[in-house]
Amino acid sequence: MSSIETTIKNSIAEIARVVALVEELASVQQLPPSSIWPLNVALDEVLSNIISYGHEDGAEHEICVRVSVEHGLVVAEVEDDGKAFDPLAAPTPEIDVPLEERSVGGLGIHIVRNLMDEVTYSRIAGRNRLTLKRALAKDEGERA
Amino acid sequence: MNVHECVIDGVTVLEVEGRIDSLTAPDFEAQLVATLSTAQRLVLDLRQLLYISSAGFRVLYRAVTQAKQKDGKLVLCGLSSTVSELFAIAGFNRLFTITASREEGVTAVAS
Repeated sequence: MSSIETTIKNSIAEIARVVALVEELASVQQLPPSSIWPLNVALDEVLSNIISYGHEDGAEHEICVRVSVEHGLVVAEVEDDGKAFDPLAAPTPEIDVPLEERSVGGLGIHIVRNLMDEVTYSRIAGRNRLTLKRALAKDEGERA
Repeated sequence: MNVHECVIDGVTVLEVEGRIDSLTAPDFEAQLVATLSTAQRLVLDLRQLLYISSAGFRVLYRAVTQAKQKDGKLVLCGLSSTVSELFAIAGFNRLFTITASREEGVTAVAS
């Protein structure tokens, strides 16, 4: 197993299923915690943002999450049918400014950008797709 | 996430174990607010904390604000390298008194 894919509903409680799957993947791939916690934190930020602000109709929606380990990278893709939202276009928060004065969601994406090596956003056929990449340390994962 | 409460030299210490994320932050906040309603000086022992996301940082911000309004004090101790890195990224290392050991935390919060 070098990748996982799951679809969750737009409810905060559903994030626990993603965390559990990521940890299962980490266990199979023998990844150390230092490769996994940044991914879990980043996914918590991205998913909670979509769940809290992505839909305004109050209806049930699905969010697709794929995580793979390949070529020395952990790659996560999150796809949702919420309103178009490019988190990379959000201004970088002033971390000296009191939290209550920062923009909503600003701290979360700031953390994501700092933990990941690469974050890309695209809007494809009415869906948001966010891709997160982080390099494994040289002695981690995909060992022969 | 689990929170255990103990009292050392008259100072309330809350040990947090597990993850503080968008799922567990509401529980964490409820326990922190309940404790702060009776204890004005509090040490949060984060040795067993795996990680904290922005949902948890928001709770900590509200808690430190609440403590300051009541002339109280909140000190953190035992941050792992992971948790320290997250605090630095969020800029929260400057909002709190942070000590290495629980004993130093108890001393710092009492002073």
